[in-house]
Amino acid sequence: MTEILLMASVVLLTLGAAFSLKDARIGFVASVISAVLAVTSLEPEMYFFGALILVIGLLNIITLYLSDNQIKGIDYAIVAMLIFATVLVIQSTNLAVLIGTFVLVSVPTYVLVMLSENDVKLEVGIKYITFMVFATVIFIIGTFLLVYSHSNMNPTLYVIGYVLLILGLGLEVGIAPLHEWVPDVFSAADPIPVSIIASIAKFVPFIVAFKLIIATANPVTSSITMFVAFLAVLSMFAGNIGALTSREPGRVLGYSTVANMGYALSAFVAVVNFDLIYLAIAGVLMQLFANSAGKIGFFTAIKDRGVGTPFTYTFALSFIGMPPLMGFWSKLFIVLALVYSGYMWLAVLLVINSAISVPYYIRLAKELGEGWGYGVVNLVALIAAIFILMTVYPPDWFLQSVKGIVGTFVVAGV
Amino acid sequence: MNEIPMFAVLFLFPVISSLPVALAWIYRPGEDWARKLPYLSVFGLFVSLLISLNILFNFEEGFYSYPWIEDFNINFVFVVDYLSKYMGALTAFIAFLIGVYGLEYMRDDYRLGWYWFFFNTFTASMLLVVYSDNLFTLLIGWEGLGIASWGLIGHWFRDDDDIAFVGTQGRKVGPLEMSWSPSTGGWRAISTIRFGDMPMFFAIAAIYALTGNLDIHSIPWEGMFEEIGYVGTVALLLLFLMGPFTKSAQLPFSEWLMTAMTGPTTVSALLHSATMVAAGTYLFMRLTWYIEPWELNIPGLETIYLLVLFLGLISALYGASVALGLRERKVLLAASTMSSLGLMFASSAASFWVGEAALIVAFWYLIVHAFAKASLFLVAGHLIHATHDRFCSGNLAFARKMKVAFAVTILATISLAGIPPFTAYWIKSGMDGVMEHLVADGMLLPFYLLVIVSLIYSAFLAKFLSLNFLKGEAPHHEHTEGGQLMKLAYTLMVSMQIVLLAIILLHYEEHASHFVEEGFLTTSLTVGILVTASYLIVLFKPAVPAFSRIGVFLTDRMYLPFLNDYILPQIGWVVIRVVDACNRGVDFFFHTAIPSAFEALSRAIRSIQKGYLRVYMKIVAGSIMLFLVIFSLMGW
Amino acid sequence: MILVYFLLVPILASLLAPFLNPKRATHLVSISFLIPFMAALVSLFQFSSYDFPIMNFSPPIGEFYILVDPVSNAFGLTVCIISAMVGYYSFPYMIHRFEEMGLGEEEYRKYIIIYGVYAASMLWLVYSGNLILLYIFLEISLITSFLLIYMYGYGNRRWVALLYFVWTNVAGVLTLVGFLLTAMDNSTLAIKGISAVGMTAWLLIFVGMLVKLPGLGPHIWLPWAHAEAPTPVSALLSPLTVGLAGYVLLRMYLIDSSFIDTYRDIIMVYAIVSSIYAGFAVFRQTDYKRLLAYSTVSQMGYILIGLCLGTFGLIGVVIQYMSHAFGKSILFMTAGGIIASYHGLRDVRKMGGLHEYIPSISNAALIGFMNLGGILAIGMFGEFFILRGVVDIYGSNLMSYLPLILALVFIFVLSGWYSFYTLRKIFYGTPRGMEKPRISRYLDLPLYIIGILSIIFIFPPLITVLLKGIKAVIGGGI
Repeated sequence: MTEILLMASVVLLTLGAAFSLKDARIGFVASVISAVLAVTSLEPEMYFFGALILVIGLLNIITLYLSDNQIKGIDYAIVAMLIFATVLVIQSTNLAVLIGTFVLVSVPTYVLVMLSENDVKLEVGIKYITFMVFATVIFIIGTFLLVYSHSNMNPTLYVIGYVLLILGLGLEVGIAPLHEWVPDVFSAADPIPVSIIASIAKFVPFIVAFKLIIATANPVTSSITMFVAFLAVLSMFAGNIGALTSREPGRVLGYSTVANMGYALSAFVAVVNFDLIYLAIAGVLMQLFANSAGKIGFFTAIKDRGVGTPFTYTFALSFIGMPPLMGFWSKLFIVLALVYSGYMWLAVLLVINSAISVPYYIRLAKELGEGWGYGVVNLVALIAAIFILMTVYPPDWFLQSVKGIVGTFVVAGV
Repeated sequence: MNEIPMFAVLFLFPVISSLPVALAWIYRPGEDWARKLPYLSVFGLFVSLLISLNILFNFEEGFYSYPWIEDFNINFVFVVDYLSKYMGALTAFIAFLIGVYGLEYMRDDYRLGWYWFFFNTFTASMLLVVYSDNLFTLLIGWEGLGIASWGLIGHWFRDDDDIAFVGTQGRKVGPLEMSWSPSTGGWRAISTIRFGDMPMFFAIAAIYALTGNLDIHSIPWEGMFEEIGYVGTVALLLLFLMGPFTKSAQLPFSEWLMTAMTGPTTVSALLHSATMVAAGTYLFMRLTWYIEPWELNIPGLETIYLLVLFLGLISALYGASVALGLRERKVLLAASTMSSLGLMFASSAASFWVGEAALIVAFWYLIVHAFAKASLFLVAGHLIHATHDRFCSGNLAFARKMKVAFAVTILATISLAGIPPFTAYWIKSGMDGVMEHLVADGMLLPFYLLVIVSLIYSAFLAKFLSLNFLKGEAPHHEHTEGGQLMKLAYTLMVSMQIVLLAIILLHYEEHASHFVEEGFLTTSLTVGILVTASYLIVLFKPAVPAFSRIGVFLTDRMYLPFLNDYILPQIGWVVIRVVDACNRGVDFFFHTAIPSAFEALSRAIRSIQKGYLRVYMKIVAGSIMLFLVIFSLMGW
Repeated sequence: MILVYFLLVPILASLLAPFLNPKRATHLVSISFLIPFMAALVSLFQFSSYDFPIMNFSPPIGEFYILVDPVSNAFGLTVCIISAMVGYYSFPYMIHRFEEMGLGEEEYRKYIIIYGVYAASMLWLVYSGNLILLYIFLEISLITSFLLIYMYGYGNRRWVALLYFVWTNVAGVLTLVGFLLTAMDNSTLAIKGISAVGMTAWLLIFVGMLVKLPGLGPHIWLPWAHAEAPTPVSALLSPLTVGLAGYVLLRMYLIDSSFIDTYRDIIMVYAIVSSIYAGFAVFRQTDYKRLLAYSTVSQMGYILIGLCLGTFGLIGVVIQYMSHAFGKSILFMTAGGIIASYHGLRDVRKMGGLHEYIPSISNAALIGFMNLGGILAIGMFGEFFILRGVVDIYGSNLMSYLPLILALVFIFVLSGWYSFYTLRKIFYGTPRGMEKPRISRYLDLPLYIIGILSIIFIFPPLITVLLKGIKAVIGGGI
């Protein structure tokens, strides 16, 4: 049944893309249906993830709908494909599928990043594509080294594989010191495609990497974990401090992404303690969700001035990590995971970073917000804000749900 | 339990009855109907008077308690005993009389609500202090005294009328202007009192911690003193007595009382002579009454009582000398009050060696002094009204126009000076007896100090009389009509001297008869004659130009104001400047230096973003190689 | 149990308030705080002590519940009455402020909802039965107060608001890490389930709350924030919000006092130095609100001191919180009264003799300062219990600790000194020939209501039940 639904989803989005040349609205409808189909293919215990992904994906689709670009119609299908890949990656334990999804989320964004209302942004595209290709290559090499070393019990190869995997991930999502493309692309490209790159495209790399690391965990892991912690700290500081003096909103958000990826990455240290690994997974996932919703909201505000001040403040406060917004809970889970893994200092640095970030998020909220917010764009902002506010009711359900799917965080045959 | 509601009314009614005028003055100051409300306040005082008389005549001696915080053994406990029943009646009586006087004296004032509220609050607080056996209850009254005193001293807050000042405006000694406005006077009073109250507060808390009890009569004093040893006893009592010392303006805390004369004269009469300042000595007496130090053998107590004895005598000497030099009517009386309080302290402290009798002497002196000094103050107030001058002025011609005031002054001064056979003579004889007793114990000094103080005391009283009615300058301004209520009040007040005399001579009171015996002893008679001589001499020669240098020294109160107004504030300001500099430093560090550092760092991080892919790839490739090399080397 | 439901009333009222006109909204919000006030009072009289479960969170977070006991009631009723009174006070003040800023009355809708949520979050904080829940409300109160400063503050308000946010956020997150460490040791954060708090966790919580309280060093943020906030916000910030750090420490102490026991002397000395330092700093301030802010720093030192002094010290902490809250809210409102009457007058050097023109505000200020000094108001008990505590803890070795005790006594002296020094500088002395303004009753009556409450609190039955209840929670022999 799962396969059928997935097939149907792929077919539908392909057809939608094809027919959208005739009328862009066909592409829109087909993509939405395709996304829903993809999500329904999930096992019931993963519905919560699917539903949240669907919200993020649909928000992306709606933002595309509200703006114009050169490939109107096909762009929806690209997002649908990203949703498809994300849905696939959460349920799959097959190594080939995992690598496939990694490529699948990477490649469509090459096109996406160059789009805008008027001209094709070639320069941005080149920068982005170069990094992504590099990332994909390193990531895949790392993956194979990891898997190979794991079965051969070769610690040296394991360490190199681990480092390459993390660096590949870093290049892909923008973790310092490999984050150079992020501020440039985020400020130069059109806000809407960037919002997609900054949101839904971030899930797959993290999930793949996490699954691989969990699957290949061995006694050597704890000695190399420090490397992850180091990168995470570097990324947080580089992102947050870099954002402090940046003026263009896009650039600020770029740095913010660097910082957020640092937060998410830090949860990887939890691999040293499997008892509460679900806290780390929940932390990473929720951090990505919170980041996605906030980024979509902010980029929409950049694109189309007129998003209401209450919304922009909600996004900003969530990024800062204020309870009871989603950004708080994600950091809470991550920090809990860190504390449990014995990484007290990392936890403290993480929370200190959330304090450093206060000034620029508030500045962003003030600069991007306008009035109470009544226009159409505010629909997107409203949904994003509700998404973030969802955790006003303490999200124990999220934790419980993640506990239910911890079993899928393995790779078959490894 | 009939008594408890009675006590409640006694304390609460004066306050409640003054609320209407207080509220009226906040929202509708100065309206005609609001100016009638003080009668209500005085009625409140009258009710208190009735109750206190009822307590005096009808209550059984003993303790009356009402639960407050039973879990902590803190309760309202009121005591009716020899000390409190007389003291209470005296307080209520004087307060009522001065209230009546105030109706006229303060009639046209600009801040009646404030005045009457604090006046009545003061009365209630004083009564609370008097009747409290529980130290915490007492503390509430004590704080009430402090705040009321502050409020009333600074009553004329506008500082715009020279008549309300103390000192001479514009006269400078060194960096200090020897002039104090009412608001300064209030500040000096509360700051000094606060300095004493808090140590006392601590001492009470310590007593509570040590014994779990706050009722003076049932605290196991002896056990406590033994438990904490010599040092503990001295430290504890010293801290405790900081309260009474500051309240009763003993050295070196006397300055506030002098500038307290910036308040209306009624206030000076009630608070700063008759009752409030006496609360310090009263509290000391009350403690001594129940500690019964003469029964105990605690070395720490001896040290403390010796200290109090000499502190009292020295303060008495200081006060009397300063009074001799002063020419401001009220300030002169204030200094004399301080002197009398010193005598009371000294005499009560002597009880350690002499026994309860010394305490009785001190207490009776308190009573006589209260009535006499209140009369003098009330007269002084009337004189200030009549002459519009704070400084002593008036001659026989003036005295003829102010016959009642003149007569009252004569009676009050001779009653207070200790001229035989007037009231204070008998008490002073008792005091002479007490000090002689000390001579027998090997302490000569107290007796001689007492005699010297008595002589000076009598001298300045005569000076007051002489400069105001006999040999002073003619007043620049005379306004002698009216003042019927004022005259009535001080006449009644001074007539109490006759009543007291009758009580003493006619043996209405058991302890008083003892004074009569003492009065016929040779020593007492000798001292009495000396005092009379001193009185008469000064009466005819109130000012001696040859001594003007010393006079200035005394008028400037031996330059003690420098302590309050120059030395301590200067130390304070040095600390404040240091603190301020630290604040600036910390502020700079956190709010300028750290943000700047972050900004610089931020620019550095952003400086990587040159926009050239070439550069980026170098960084990326470099980093990846670096990490791989590091991990290869590190691991294996 | 009814109290728990009444806690919801302020939240609902705040959400409803924007739909009404300013005056009605004010009444609605203020009355909505008086309802839980009465409930807390009743609960105090009944000595209620119970848990009201809300939800179960998976470990290590644990059960969320409402914790009702006399201590939370004491804090709760203080929060309620002051929020209600300041609510009334806000009405004319903020309308005036909006005019000054060129905003319309419409702005009041925004204001009242944030205000309501701000105050309600503090109320919920003191009834939180789980440390995470407590942290959540701590941060909500931070965000809302931040927004109020950011939008309606004075001076360089955005900068000040950010500064406030960063400092208190640091405070909050350090505490949070401390909580999480505790969670690791106990597998729960429900207050009733925690049996031990590790030293590192305690240290983090302590340092975090020290920043918020604030102690010497971190105190530097407070004068900025409290001075530049719109006055009604200052009147909640200073009396209620910062003191809640004391509440958190108190709760932690009741769970596990090991940290304080170990470092008692150091903390004590630090607290005393902090208090004296800030007390001296008051004299130099020329801005009335800044002056009050420094006095807050000094008064918060008492709370830290009380924390070191055993059973009686802890009772002192609770009373001191209440008394400071009453006093300081009155004082900030008097500062606001002067600002509203004289077009933003805050410079103490330009004041003097103001009693002539605004007697009602001047008299209220007197009551406020009496509260700070512990004169004839509930603060007396706070000082008394702190002093008693110091004897309990340090009395056995009197001579070596005498300097410490004298320093403590001096703090109380100092608070009286700066109180009356300030009163004299601002309200007494020769009037400066200003005009006599018309004072709205909303600007002075609330002050008197708080003042009267602070005075009747020293009499039975209020003080009786209050102390009995606190004693039951804190325990310890008498």
